[in-house]
Amino acid sequence: MSAEMANEIKLISGRSHPELSEKIAKRLGIEVARTISLNYSNQETSFTVGESVRDEDVFIVQSTATGDVNEGLMELLIMISACRTASARRITAVIPNFPYARQDKKDKSRAPISARLVANMLQTAGANHIITVDLHASQIQGFFSVPGMATRSLLTLLVLDRADSSVVDNLYAEPSFLRYIRENFKPEDCVIVSPDAGGAKRATSIADHLNTAFALIHKERPRPNVVGRMVLVGNVQDKVAILVDDMADTCGTLVKAAAVLKEHGAKSVLALVTHGILSGNAIETLNNSVLEALVVTNTVPLGDKLERCPKIRVIDISPTIAEAIRRTHNGESVSYLFTHAPV
Amino acid sequence: MVRNIVVLGGNSHPELTKSVCEILGIPPCNRILTKFSSGESRCEIQDSVRGKDVYIIQTGFGGNGSRLNDHFMDLCIMISACKTGSARRVTAVLPLFPYSRQPDLPYKKTGAPLYKAQSESDKKNYTFDSVPVTPGPGTAQSTGLSNGADLLKSALTNGNGHANGDAYFGGQSIYTTHDYENASHVGAFQAKPGYKQWVAQAGTLVANLLTCAGADHVITMDLHDPQVQGFFDVPVDNLYGRPLLKRYIQTHIPNYKDAVIISPDAGGAKRATAIADSMGIDFALIHKVRSPPLAPIQAYQHPLFFTQERRPTKITDRQNASMMLVGNVTGRVCILIDDLVDTGNTITRAAKLLKKEGATTIYALITHGVFSGDAINRIKASAIDKIVVTNSVPQDEHKDLLGNKLDVLDISHIFAEAIRRVHHGESISVLFNHD
Repeated sequence: MSAEMANEIKLISGRSHPELSEKIAKRLGIEVARTISLNYSNQETSFTVGESVRDEDVFIVQSTATGDVNEGLMELLIMISACRTASARRITAVIPNFPYARQDKKDKSRAPISARLVANMLQTAGANHIITVDLHASQIQGFFSVPGMATRSLLTLLVLDRADSSVVDNLYAEPSFLRYIRENFKPEDCVIVSPDAGGAKRATSIADHLNTAFALIHKERPRPNVVGRMVLVGNVQDKVAILVDDMADTCGTLVKAAAVLKEHGAKSVLALVTHGILSGNAIETLNNSVLEALVVTNTVPLGDKLERCPKIRVIDISPTIAEAIRRTHNGESVSYLFTHAPV
Repeated sequence: MVRNIVVLGGNSHPELTKSVCEILGIPPCNRILTKFSSGESRCEIQDSVRGKDVYIIQTGFGGNGSRLNDHFMDLCIMISACKTGSARRVTAVLPLFPYSRQPDLPYKKTGAPLYKAQSESDKKNYTFDSVPVTPGPGTAQSTGLSNGADLLKSALTNGNGHANGDAYFGGQSIYTTHDYENASHVGAFQAKPGYKQWVAQAGTLVANLLTCAGADHVITMDLHDPQVQGFFDVPVDNLYGRPLLKRYIQTHIPNYKDAVIISPDAGGAKRATAIADSMGIDFALIHKVRSPPLAPIQAYQHPLFFTQERRPTKITDRQNASMMLVGNVTGRVCILIDDLVDTGNTITRAAKLLKKEGATTIYALITHGVFSGDAINRIKASAIDKIVVTNSVPQDEHKDLLGNKLDVLDISHIFAEAIRRVHHGESISVLFNHD
């Protein structure tokens, strides 16, 4: 069966998150393709292909390790380009944490729209399809309620930028979060809190699904990575406050929000975040905070952070990604995954 | 003072940006170019670029704690930012073009060909090349430099008493052409049986990415492969470091008319002959003779291959290359010419062969001095008397380490002049061949 069966899934793993690739491969019942990425001593990236990808359905898994975003991105581009050179039938870049997703608008004069540049680069390298998780753009939360009819700012940007555009599938960690909350808490004891106005839709969507109360924290942000004053809208008295966000970077927002929630009488505070980037002093900030737990998915490699911070808990997102890969390969609908998390 | 022009520098080579701007008589564009704590590049261009002719200087070099891929992404982001900021034209100035040269076999820990001693079975094996390669009529030919550290060592110490670089070959010869974070991981890598592994060449990709980011024009210098120019859909000006190297030969090398220009490999012969011809100096060539061993028969157990003749495996060619000099250098000054010194393996080997053949002094004139890995130590220990590079990549650190052995030529005026001419729409071909 194997020799003549062309067009199989070839799962190629970048260096950034081999554990995730392994989990996905295990889930799909295949092996990660034999390739190796290295850096020359002059720091150029080299990518060696050790098996044929001709006429295969190639999926390249590359997250972006914190601090090494550009290395990972360049490696991904070289991998895509190599597979295209090697006559792969279709190349799908699986980028759980889309790099530069936050730089998605020209917010001041001559600011680069790097997210769009990255999207263009991926297409230039030869990616036909992109699978990602929880793209950072406030509008995309509308996608939860009306599947397939979203007003998706970054997605629109990605898709409409070129005529020969790649197709983007944005997956959601929300179903996994819902299951986590249902398994660990009584929904009636909880309040879902959005740490900023931009994430309100994401939080309300979860609150609606669980039929719980909802609260919002309004914040002022003078500069990137710096958080200003915070105001709570809603009641969290004697409740388990669950902060919901798409990424935790320096954790300044989350920790301040947690403090505000505690001040307003919350019984305990935890945070559910898709991408645990956790850069800078995030670990120290978390350890010294009133936040009881930070629950993240494994879209971003955590390295030794789990040991350094006992508050971090991880939800495995690989079943969702593996299922998306399987469905994409077989030409089935992916939208089931927007509301259900595979077990 | 040049009007309506903006020169924007990346983080890879601030000194070059500064001196180019000084020559052009304009201040460099104010920008913020750092990293967010997450590792994403942060770029803010603080001066207006609307309707301006923008030149972004970023060389393909990572060192001094910075990363090459960061610099390249920074460049793309800067180009893109200028484009969205309504710049009239954006020119990427890459003194050293990144990913322009990639070796084929990066994963061998024993990547340096010197490391692997020739085995007995290799020696008696048949080769498709005629060995030794037929030299031209009337040219002297060396006996060649046998492969393997031990052989080289004995050749150097016993041959003419020159023990330069000996320390490097004594005891454990642990040369690595390339440094890796995880050697065991590299060693464990194996291609699928029956598939010949290959390394992706990123040259075209890099060209496409620059165009995709919005570069309208590219200025670079001494491309390793001039064909890279053809990868681009936009104009590429490939400047030459040759005039600078020639001037150095004329002014710094005594009796240069009696010297010999050497190309350390056949690929660079054209580059070296161009200089030799225009100056009327003799030329010699170091040639890598490849003696491929026979493939072990069990590698071809597949019935299809049984009928075929046994063929040499190409993959081991490099390890079995031995060096041979075509031309005469006895008692003469040798000038090695190459475009790029990276790990320094080729030129140090070439220098050893030249010393063995009786060269008196060895100069190495090279456009791009990357000096990665253990290049600095290797060159320190080598037979090279003087190495001359341009500042297409920052050389301060190399200068500190190599001291008087290294001379640095300044290329900022070439780039400044190229930028000025491109801006004014003048011909830059003058820069290609002022002899």
